[in-house]
Amino acid sequence: MATMATAELKPSPRWRRARNVFSGYALILPALLLVGLIIVYPATRSIIVTLTTQADGSPAAFTLDQYTSFFTDTLSTTNLLYTLRVALEVVAILFLIAFPICLYLRFSKSRIANVIHFLTLFPLFVPGIVLAYALIRFTITHGMLASILAALCINNYTTPYLTTQGIMFGLVWEGIPFTTLILNAALIQIDDALIDSARDVGANAWQIFTRIMLPLIKDAVVIIFALQFLMILGSYTIPYLMGPAEPEMMGVFMQRTYQDVQNPVQAQTQAVVTFVIAALAGYVYVRTVASQQKGQE
Amino acid sequence: MRFGPRALKLALIGALVVVFLGVRAAQAQQTTTLNIYVDADTNITDWLSNIVKPGFEAKNPQYKLNVVIARGGITMTDVINRTMAAKQTGADPQVDVIEGLDPSNFTKESMDAKLWTTFSKDNIPNYDTLNPTINILPYGLPYRGSEVLIAYDSTKVPDSEVPHTFADLITWIKAHPGQFVYCRPDKGGSGGNFVVRAIYEANGKDPSLFTTTNYSDALAAKMLPPAWKILSDINSSIYQNGSYPAGNLPTLQLLANGSVSMITAWSDQSLEALQKGTLPSTIKLTQFTDLPMSGGYVYTAIPVNATHMQGALAFANYYISLENEESIVKDIGGFPTIKKEMLPKELQDLLGTALSDKAPPVWPGGSWDTAKNAGWYKTVATTLPPTETPAPTVVPTINPAATTAATAQ
Repeated sequence: MATMATAELKPSPRWRRARNVFSGYALILPALLLVGLIIVYPATRSIIVTLTTQADGSPAAFTLDQYTSFFTDTLSTTNLLYTLRVALEVVAILFLIAFPICLYLRFSKSRIANVIHFLTLFPLFVPGIVLAYALIRFTITHGMLASILAALCINNYTTPYLTTQGIMFGLVWEGIPFTTLILNAALIQIDDALIDSARDVGANAWQIFTRIMLPLIKDAVVIIFALQFLMILGSYTIPYLMGPAEPEMMGVFMQRTYQDVQNPVQAQTQAVVTFVIAALAGYVYVRTVASQQKGQE
Repeated sequence: MRFGPRALKLALIGALVVVFLGVRAAQAQQTTTLNIYVDADTNITDWLSNIVKPGFEAKNPQYKLNVVIARGGITMTDVINRTMAAKQTGADPQVDVIEGLDPSNFTKESMDAKLWTTFSKDNIPNYDTLNPTINILPYGLPYRGSEVLIAYDSTKVPDSEVPHTFADLITWIKAHPGQFVYCRPDKGGSGGNFVVRAIYEANGKDPSLFTTTNYSDALAAKMLPPAWKILSDINSSIYQNGSYPAGNLPTLQLLANGSVSMITAWSDQSLEALQKGTLPSTIKLTQFTDLPMSGGYVYTAIPVNATHMQGALAFANYYISLENEESIVKDIGGFPTIKKEMLPKELQDLLGTALSDKAPPVWPGGSWDTAKNAGWYKTVATTLPPTETPAPTVVPTINPAATTAATAQ
């Protein structure tokens, strides 16, 4: 008589459960060790150095000198606020550009939609430095963009090269693929039936967007915001090549403090401050992903 | 024993190989191989391997050059230390010539150990052809130089308006806002040496006030702020209201595409660009007549325990010969170190007023550079409101507010 598996399962023995837990940890141990050695340990050491070095460089048991000098130095606070401002503005512009594109891709199945889809992914294949030089050549005074605008009788063109607009131009271009990828994935999950039924009830496009779609893709929006904000906060190449000499974004500022001003402790302080702000964005991201996973269970 | 056809073929090939190797070995024994150490950038090492080596070997068939590139992991200081160690133990250092050193690279230990050969007319036949204002080190043979000069578009700047002194340049910049640019001083020497020239201008044009050993924060706080005043004054007249590119090449590009009409540029980069055509031929070069902008000359050196002293001296002599100096100007855009009148007319015209007879001043670098760069970013490039008293141009760990608060307690 074959004993079919009954709905009632015997509880597995304790040793087997313990072995499963243990083997789980053992499998992730190498990766954990790597992260610990390469990231957590040096970062902790850096933080300790910034908390135990006084303003003149001598060691102390505990001191906030480095952070005091960071927050009282007008240049440092200007650069920090500048970085935050640029990051928030770039993320806002990314959403403004990505939403229309993604909504179009969601609802249109034409050939042109495929071309547009490919174009939104194209910046993924262009390395940052190549992009920077291409943008410089394109947007510089008497460059191609200036010529195009002049042909359209727009003559008061000033180049965004070496200004904040240049940084934003580059960072937006770089951020489009990632934003549209995630937004597309989120929008695809919205059932057509939901939209159709809303339309049947008489909702117009804007109401459908704000009342039906946005709440459903809330998690994806938060994830995009957190990750893009993080990436822009630490960006270096585009701000360095296309941005102004002052104010600088934190990545460029840190490199200059470390290498040219030859003040590694202050550079580490700047890094810790940036890290704290990034950690906030990271916390938001982790919370959202965790709640998403909980929702799926 | 009878050998089959296959065995005979193998024997024949073997004999040919032996003969071939023998001939090669005999040939190798006839020429001496000289080891030339170089740590310069790829344009110089390429030039050495592709142009200097064939030229030298053609003139001196008994020598073969082995160009050893000491870039990357090993530095020239390591090579010098190894040569010193070999001198002490009497071993073969396997070094014949060190192709090019900055004066600051002649380490103190090597000078104390008397490592370097002294050059004179006796061991270098071409010695007297060198420009005496540049040939100032007895143990180094200057063979090429580079300095920062002014590059301008001759179609937009007529000859009568070309500035010949620093004060003239400031006047021109203020009269033509947006037409001049220099790069950030820490990102490119062309901007860095322009800032240095402003520092000299603010301190009575006396380069001897800045040496490798006299830096102190107090001295910097006294001598640098007047230069910041000069540069802040012209900040709004710089390209795009004070936009500074992030390197030497972006600045050259701005001049090439007509965004500005005048820049500061390295002589070798501009000469090379003019030869290759990346700078239009309407671009001309000039230098200040009162005090040129900084630059440097590179000196060839031979250790006293060089493996082949005769060969090393023959190479050093060839390196400063007219044939090689012409190649330096034409192929790598360097400044020659021989007397200007010895060059052919076309090269003299190409260099024009850019090559002054005076040797350029040499900025000490080191802590002075750190203070110069930090101060420039804080007080010149900044868009902070002018009512803020600029922090002293010292390393920012010393915060006056924190120290006065500490002492007040």
